[in-house]
Amino acid sequence: MTETTRSTDAGASRAADPDHVHLDDAAASLVPSIAGLEADAAPVPDSDKAAKRRVGWGFWVSVTWLAVIVLAAILAPWLPLKDPELPQPPVVGERPPYAPSGTYWFGTDQLNRDMFSRTIWGARTSLVVGFAAIAFGMLVGGTLGMLAGYFRGRFDAAVSFVFVVLLSFPALVLAILITALLNRSLFTISVTLGILAVAPVGRVARASTISFADREFVLASRTLGARHPRIIVRELLPNVVIPMSALALLGMAVAIVAEGGLAFLGLSVEKGSTWGKLILNGASSSRDLQEAPWMSFAPIIVLFLTVLALNFAGDRLRDYFDVKETAL
Amino acid sequence: MRFWLQRFGMAILLLLTVSALTFGAMNILGDPLFNILGPVAGDTENPESIALIEAAEAEYNLDRPLPVRWALWLGDFVTGDFGVQFSEDGQPPVSDLIAERLPRTLSLLVMAQLMAVFISIPWALWSASKANKPVDRASTVITFGMIALPNFALAVVLKYIFAIQLGWFPLAFTANDPFWSRMWQMVLPAITLAIPAAAVYQRLLRTDLITTLQEDFILTARSKGVSRNSVLFKHALRPSLFSFVTIFAINTGALIGGALIVENVFLIPGLGRAIVEAILREDFPVVLAIVMIVSAAFVVLNLLVDIIYSLIDPRVRAS
Amino acid sequence: MRTRSTRRATKVGIAALVSFSLIAAACGGDDDDSGDGGGDTESTEATDATDGDEGDTTETTESGVQDNEITQDTVSPEEEIGDPVPGGTLRYGLEADVDGLNPTSSALSAPGLMMSQAVFDSLIAYDVDGNAVPYLAESMEPVDGDFATWQLTLREGIEFHDGTPVNAEAVQVNFELQRNDPLVGLAVRPYYPETDATTLIDDLTIQFNLLDPNAQFPKALTGQLGYLASPTWIAAAADDPTLNQQPVGTGPFVFDSRSADSVTRFVRNEDWWNGSAFLDAIEFVPVTDPDSRADLFFSGELQALQTSNPATVEDLRSDDAVQNVIDETGEESFVMINTAVAPFDDIRVRQALTFATPRQQYNDLINLGVTRLADQMFIPESKFYNPDVVQEGDTPDLSLPLVESYCAERGTEENPILGTTTCSDGKVNMELQWSGPSVVQTQVADLFNQAWSNSGFNVTFNELPQDDHIQETALGQYNVNTWRQFGAEDPQNDRVWLGCDNIGVISLNWPKYCDEARDALMDESGASTDEAERIEIWKQISENINQAYTYIFLNHTLWDNAFAENVLGVCDRTAPTGEQLLCVTNGRNWFDSIWINE
Repeated sequence: MTETTRSTDAGASRAADPDHVHLDDAAASLVPSIAGLEADAAPVPDSDKAAKRRVGWGFWVSVTWLAVIVLAAILAPWLPLKDPELPQPPVVGERPPYAPSGTYWFGTDQLNRDMFSRTIWGARTSLVVGFAAIAFGMLVGGTLGMLAGYFRGRFDAAVSFVFVVLLSFPALVLAILITALLNRSLFTISVTLGILAVAPVGRVARASTISFADREFVLASRTLGARHPRIIVRELLPNVVIPMSALALLGMAVAIVAEGGLAFLGLSVEKGSTWGKLILNGASSSRDLQEAPWMSFAPIIVLFLTVLALNFAGDRLRDYFDVKETAL
Repeated sequence: MRFWLQRFGMAILLLLTVSALTFGAMNILGDPLFNILGPVAGDTENPESIALIEAAEAEYNLDRPLPVRWALWLGDFVTGDFGVQFSEDGQPPVSDLIAERLPRTLSLLVMAQLMAVFISIPWALWSASKANKPVDRASTVITFGMIALPNFALAVVLKYIFAIQLGWFPLAFTANDPFWSRMWQMVLPAITLAIPAAAVYQRLLRTDLITTLQEDFILTARSKGVSRNSVLFKHALRPSLFSFVTIFAINTGALIGGALIVENVFLIPGLGRAIVEAILREDFPVVLAIVMIVSAAFVVLNLLVDIIYSLIDPRVRAS
Repeated sequence: MRTRSTRRATKVGIAALVSFSLIAAACGGDDDDSGDGGGDTESTEATDATDGDEGDTTETTESGVQDNEITQDTVSPEEEIGDPVPGGTLRYGLEADVDGLNPTSSALSAPGLMMSQAVFDSLIAYDVDGNAVPYLAESMEPVDGDFATWQLTLREGIEFHDGTPVNAEAVQVNFELQRNDPLVGLAVRPYYPETDATTLIDDLTIQFNLLDPNAQFPKALTGQLGYLASPTWIAAAADDPTLNQQPVGTGPFVFDSRSADSVTRFVRNEDWWNGSAFLDAIEFVPVTDPDSRADLFFSGELQALQTSNPATVEDLRSDDAVQNVIDETGEESFVMINTAVAPFDDIRVRQALTFATPRQQYNDLINLGVTRLADQMFIPESKFYNPDVVQEGDTPDLSLPLVESYCAERGTEENPILGTTTCSDGKVNMELQWSGPSVVQTQVADLFNQAWSNSGFNVTFNELPQDDHIQETALGQYNVNTWRQFGAEDPQNDRVWLGCDNIGVISLNWPKYCDEARDALMDESGASTDEAERIEIWKQISENINQAYTYIFLNHTLWDNAFAENVLGVCDRTAPTGEQLLCVTNGRNWFDSIWINE
């Protein structure tokens, strides 16, 4: 999609390779946040360049927040949190949900469960799904993309077609289809979202590989008699991994949001809480939303900050490593 | 010419693959017989039930292999026969459902895009003119935030502020209201979709404008005494609009996905809600029809962008 | 080309998936969640049940009735206000849309039955004491004192809205269609012979030939089984199923139109056989979100609404300008246990689950204390109520020893629903199934899981779309689920959920529990005309049910039909022979006596 934003470079490269351009990147913008951020991967005007070479303090703030959330999620069973599933003893004469107070930092929900504890435990599932999805995407998509970009030819055409199909399918619908028809285990949901990540990641891997595969060091390696696997692993992989890792944070943000969307439709994991489920629980009834807004707003704020942090950090990393989406 | 034939062929192939995958998924993961007959399908003792099962199998071709069923469905579909809604009483045709719901989703999308454009263009112009000053940096952070907030969360926040606390909008959608009343009911959901879209457009346009502003012809214009604002509007905006139009078209695809969530939150009876309901009720024909419509929309949008682009950039046409 | 039977089966199969209330040989009880999959809000209706504890409500009279409640005993305000006058349109808010109102092929949910009561009349009606009174029919008598053969005679000169005459043949058409329906007929067929279930005696008389004596048989014709629809219309709808949305009956209102947002409009039937209704028109407005529905009512957009949402009921009852018709005599909500497969085929496990169930918390947190906890299928005010029957629960300490004992002995057997062993690590493995997506049902599941898992159970969640859930339950593919049932005005019509002969591949006896002794009691009750005797029998049956541990009763469903201040007369129904008739059943009222005081 980035080529399409550039009138000069892209035009030339499109002219060179018209077949694999438009449908892929066009459909990439299924995912709004990646689409929006990809816009920024366009060649940066001089006035912005000065800002580029440092990651900046915003980056470190984001990383700190992420570290806090991840640690809280991992350590949840050992932290002095109230039981997230246990209805707390109610106050006589007053019915739950209770507003945030000294006892319940984020308040309680309709069953008088502590929202602070539920939000932290919800982080566990949301983060695990996000991580697993992007890991799956990078593993499968990255591998396919690299192989396609390296070997080109019919294999490339086939893989690219698969990517395009995946991108043309309305993403959320695919996720809903699978979770509604199959089951809603953590594994299924992670893999489903992972499948959705395969195409965007794969395209980047492929483009990156193509751009590197023509470079001298690869040619040199081949001249020296290196076989394909060695070239792929030793020469290309280290270089491709960098742009992909920068995307990993962004991808994770997308996956977390996607899980939230699924949860909001009532189709996420059945047991346990996730941020999306918590938000839904607080917002599905307008009355609940009106009388006890904290039930939704607490997880919304935490989700927002986390996604913001992931996006920001990922964006900074991408600028820092000067990643261009495609270089066809 | 060959280029276009290839494109077109690719688009068709794409749609066929999508339909095959969806058809396959629904038939393998779900059970059409149960979907049609209900519990009777499992009652294999009762001879009456068995007769019904066999009749249903014959009628819906369930005893034939999957690829054949897909081909039969495809044949009907391309001739306009979308089938009937399995799970509605009386089994009205799917096209009725589409005809009822599609306009609502379309109005939502149109409103959202219009709002996004009206917000983003002036904002981008303003940002570009104040490039890298503190207000511009603040604005960059804001657009970041607008993109980071997931649409369902934004929907909840907007609903709380505007529908519940301020009461400006109704809580439920009434299809029988007069036109303007219905449009008003769509405003909040449209805003939910428009905000991230506006942020995306703004960022892109701002970047483009700034880049364009650095080019020589701008310098020439300025040296000739053309005012700053004039330069922005007349000279910088136009070339930047090319890529804007492109991402506008592409983002429509993203908005379709967003509409799914937003319709479910604001209880608007559009295509997004229809497909979620249909999947939950395993109403195969409806799911297939809507998936095909949405995928076709994606594909058409992409083709359109290709066409626009080729018209604008002669280098692509020449190839 | 589609054969008639396939098409009918298709329609019915699908329709019946939505609700089994057609099995209203009983009384049109709703089953679990209403509403479609997309919205979660509708389902707040489903788990609701009836009232909080006695003494909970303020400003009650000794009978527990609030000042703004209308009951059979309410004195009609006509003395001060004057006689009813015709005129006005009543806009009535319902919880869901109904797309088909054909009693012979559409399984009717609560909203559907409500609408049906405007356009159809039933052959027999209940009076306020629970006796069967001929309504559309002129009389219904057993032949020669044999309660297995009944003759029903119709009134002369009644026509359906489309001019078709109401005769014995019409009755036969309606009845036989329902009886022969593969799914719906499950509730009807066990009690009739294969052929000649009905015999036409003359133009206005039809004979029902039952297999066993049933002194209460007329009561079976008070609900959907007794609605008469025009055979002309039924035949036309068979060819064009969209006509199901345009019902043709004999009722006080005639179908007028249906709009894009599913508002169904009925207008007064000027040729009604039982006099004339007062309202000019009724518009049924489906509003799935309970909060929106309440808003529309309070703002005056709707003049009446039907709800079982606890928060809404609270608001309605605390508003003096609202007239509430409260009905708790309908269904009960309960946890239902499948006794056909391990581990719940063992009574110890069922008992353990019962003891561990947090009923009080459920009523307080889910139902906001609005409903009353249920011990049995009768409310305390019912004549069949057995005060000695107490639903156990909230005693988790008693569960662990039972679980231990079971696991030690049978822990290595297979739980076919989960595909695992019955016990793991000393805890019983079980599946909890419910219909969703539903925010409230998820809360219920969380609540139960939290309690049960601390009392020796490993709970696996299985949230299914409604159709699948009903299917699985009918086929016995579940361990434990949450359900609603019972609520027939006369318990004889609830027999179909309890009998041994209702167990099969598809079972309406959902827990698949066969108790021959209980069956014998129910047969006795069917043959008896002595009310005192029947009361004793049903008290015994309640005891019996309690000891079987197949249902963990939670609460009585509380329906509130709320009316604006100027909407009067809902409880002033009378039969042609002058008896005062029931004004609400299972949360739905009738419309012939309602008028608007401008």
